[in-house]
Amino acid sequence: MREEIFRMERVTRIERGMVRLEDFNLQVYKGEIMGLLPVNAHGMTAFLNLLQTNLPIRDGYVYYGGGLVNSWKESGREANRISIIQAQSCLVEQMTVTDNIFVLRQGYRQRMIRPGILQSQLEPFLRDIGIDLAADCRVEKLSVFERVVVELLKAVILGYRLIVLNEISTLISSRELCKLHHIMRHYAKRGFSFLYVSPHFEELVQLCGRVAMFSHGRIQKVLRGAEMDEECLRGYVEEYDSMVRAHLESCGAESEKGAPVLTVDGLTCGSLNRLNLNFYAGECVVIQNMDNEVYKDLTGLLTGALRAETGCFRMEGNPVEICGNRNAAVILEQPTRTMLFPRMSYMDNLCMGLSWRMPGVWNSFRIQKSIRKEYGKLLGEDVFDMQLEELDEKQKYQLVYMRVLLQKPRIVFCIQPFKGADMSHRMLVWKLLEMMLNKKIAVVILALNLADSISLAERLVRIGSDGSIEEISRDHFGTLSGDAPWRYLYREKSVKMTDGNVFRDFHKKTAEELGRP
Amino acid sequence: MREEYRLKYICNRVLLLAAAVFLLLLIQAAAWLLRFLQGGTGLWQGLIHGAAAGLYGAVYWFWIIVPYRKGEKWISHFLDGYGIPDSREADSFLLTPYMKRQIEMAEKVLKAPGAMDFNKRQAQYLALQNQINPHFLYNTLESIRGEALLAGLNSVADMTEALAKFFRYTITKVENLVSVEEELDNCETYFRIQKYRFGDRLRLHVECDEEDREDIMNCRIPKLTLQPIMENSIIHGTELKVGTGNLRLQFERTDSRLIIRLSDDGVGMDEHTLARLNRKLAGEVQTASYQEDGRQGGIALVNVNNRIHLIFGEEYGLHVYSVPQKGTDVEISVPVVASERQLPNRGILS
Repeated sequence: MREEIFRMERVTRIERGMVRLEDFNLQVYKGEIMGLLPVNAHGMTAFLNLLQTNLPIRDGYVYYGGGLVNSWKESGREANRISIIQAQSCLVEQMTVTDNIFVLRQGYRQRMIRPGILQSQLEPFLRDIGIDLAADCRVEKLSVFERVVVELLKAVILGYRLIVLNEISTLISSRELCKLHHIMRHYAKRGFSFLYVSPHFEELVQLCGRVAMFSHGRIQKVLRGAEMDEECLRGYVEEYDSMVRAHLESCGAESEKGAPVLTVDGLTCGSLNRLNLNFYAGECVVIQNMDNEVYKDLTGLLTGALRAETGCFRMEGNPVEICGNRNAAVILEQPTRTMLFPRMSYMDNLCMGLSWRMPGVWNSFRIQKSIRKEYGKLLGEDVFDMQLEELDEKQKYQLVYMRVLLQKPRIVFCIQPFKGADMSHRMLVWKLLEMMLNKKIAVVILALNLADSISLAERLVRIGSDGSIEEISRDHFGTLSGDAPWRYLYREKSVKMTDGNVFRDFHKKTAEELGRP
Repeated sequence: MREEYRLKYICNRVLLLAAAVFLLLLIQAAAWLLRFLQGGTGLWQGLIHGAAAGLYGAVYWFWIIVPYRKGEKWISHFLDGYGIPDSREADSFLLTPYMKRQIEMAEKVLKAPGAMDFNKRQAQYLALQNQINPHFLYNTLESIRGEALLAGLNSVADMTEALAKFFRYTITKVENLVSVEEELDNCETYFRIQKYRFGDRLRLHVECDEEDREDIMNCRIPKLTLQPIMENSIIHGTELKVGTGNLRLQFERTDSRLIIRLSDDGVGMDEHTLARLNRKLAGEVQTASYQEDGRQGGIALVNVNNRIHLIFGEEYGLHVYSVPQKGTDVEISVPVVASERQLPNRGILS
């Protein structure tokens, strides 16, 4: 008999007149790792809020640990003992790991805090999962992975029976993700339940027993057993699949690249050690950071937060800075939140990158009118008269990327462009990046998780924690490890190519035999 | 001004008056305290008036406003079509004795055995409709004839037996709750009949947790729960699909619930249709006139769902999951009941 830990029974939640969750059904069993795939993320925040707090609901029932905790009749607004681990940490900085786990909890009644005892209490838990971590370390000094592990341990020690992990793969490297999965499986065997939210089904297939597809505030389907086959799951993302397939088919053989648009010349900074790379026009390169520190250093260098110890970026042989350079653009993580200026109009936001090419853009109605005319077809006529708060997520993504396109840079660095995006937005970002490539702009994607990026890439550059570099060209993507997304497409492609070669060889041979040219 | 805040409603007038009294008490308290602060007397009067205001506010809040809001939520939930709440829950917020009678009357009408009878009759009607459905009969008899022509008399006998068994179960069984085993048996009989029509194009897989098999098979569920859903899956799901259709019937139980899932890998439905169907399933018990729009599809599901709501309560029922071109899952959730005597609401079965 299966024990139900959490259940939502046809829950409807309305926030500010908008239906966020509608007839939402979900159950999680004891010791289960359940996946949640946001095909469309509308309502996801409301769902996560509702997990943590028993907010008023319009209809339905919420059960946790066998008891009714929330219903349309009565919502106590009290917090559930459910932990949500996500980008935003719930640990208190300036305090140690043990303080966060043991002291900052309800029911801690000791008047004297004895760090030694607390550390010895934490020790067996760390040993159990094979993690080497100083219990007296302050939270702000922890790496992201360590922070995630500490939050997970806190939930386990406090006896939370359901732990939610929201898009963790965008926070930590692949190697760390493997370790985390191992820890999760370990605790699942001990009866803890997990809800693992990720937009990448390759990740979910490897880890979860069941996967619920979340769309428009409803659970569209729960996949289990034979349906969890990767081949079968791929059918659910058919549109995306065919889009990538078409792109790969349109990519011909490698042509002459010409001179690089940007050269990274012996760059050293923090964990980056003498990094040498070349980027060419119209080429997409994915830089996968196997370690979180490398990722931090690279983003710091691109955004101007860090300075190179030695080496530099070079354009046409001249040393340049990326930050503030009009020939280069950086698209930050979650750009719809970090790169838009809500007090400025749509047009001002759009033309921001254009002013260096057309200084009169702010006063010239003629230029603005022609931009409106040209981009209205792509973005829609109405958006130009809308306030920024009125734009939906899709329109915001379009605005950011179109701004960069208007700037006409020679190279664009995208920091985790697919982070936080649901399936439909990932497809949109993918198309926008493809548009940049078609305009012969070099696109460099900084990623922790390969997921969508690999489908656009011509080269994959892996930077290890020791600064070592491994470069893999598209022809060899089929040989990437089993969990690499879109690998099957590259394998198909390489098989086709091999078949093509065999076919060509056969024709050549036959022609020779027949004495034809 | 928003409609619900207008003074034409008595509740708003009462609220206004109460707020005025509360403010008056507060002003008096403040005036006395001000007098005291200016060097005069009045500390005690100020404190007494303040305490009276606090007490009045607290009593008014917990005694009047909180139950009133609860009542408002209860009624709006009903009016928005989210089901019929239990009238016993209304005791804490009754406005007048007449309101109590009014609520009881509404519940009596909507949850009366008559409503159950209506749904039962409808379930039988749906099943009978199949029996007299010319296509159903034609196809079945055609299959029998074909089999007879091809000589295998055993299969003709088998088919006829299946048909008879199915008719007998549908028509003669008068109990309201039957065991899962009986329902499953009827489903398999129905499937056998359909199999003669679809041949290898249709497959049924039954899955059950082995350790709980006995428990699950003894659980009681409303009669004609599974067969209408299976029929729905065949007609709207697998029949329209090119190639082999698979039906998967899964049983599992938790400590308090029995979950039956019927999945097909048919054509599925779009998000909008799915949302509309689930809304229908979550909504109130529908009357005959309301159910007319069931002609658009899903009437069998709504009927099964209504009977589950009426017998076991609104926490249980059906929920549908579907993805276009991938298939549909219908999940039935009922409490674990081994005998009709365990039902708090067994009067409805009579």
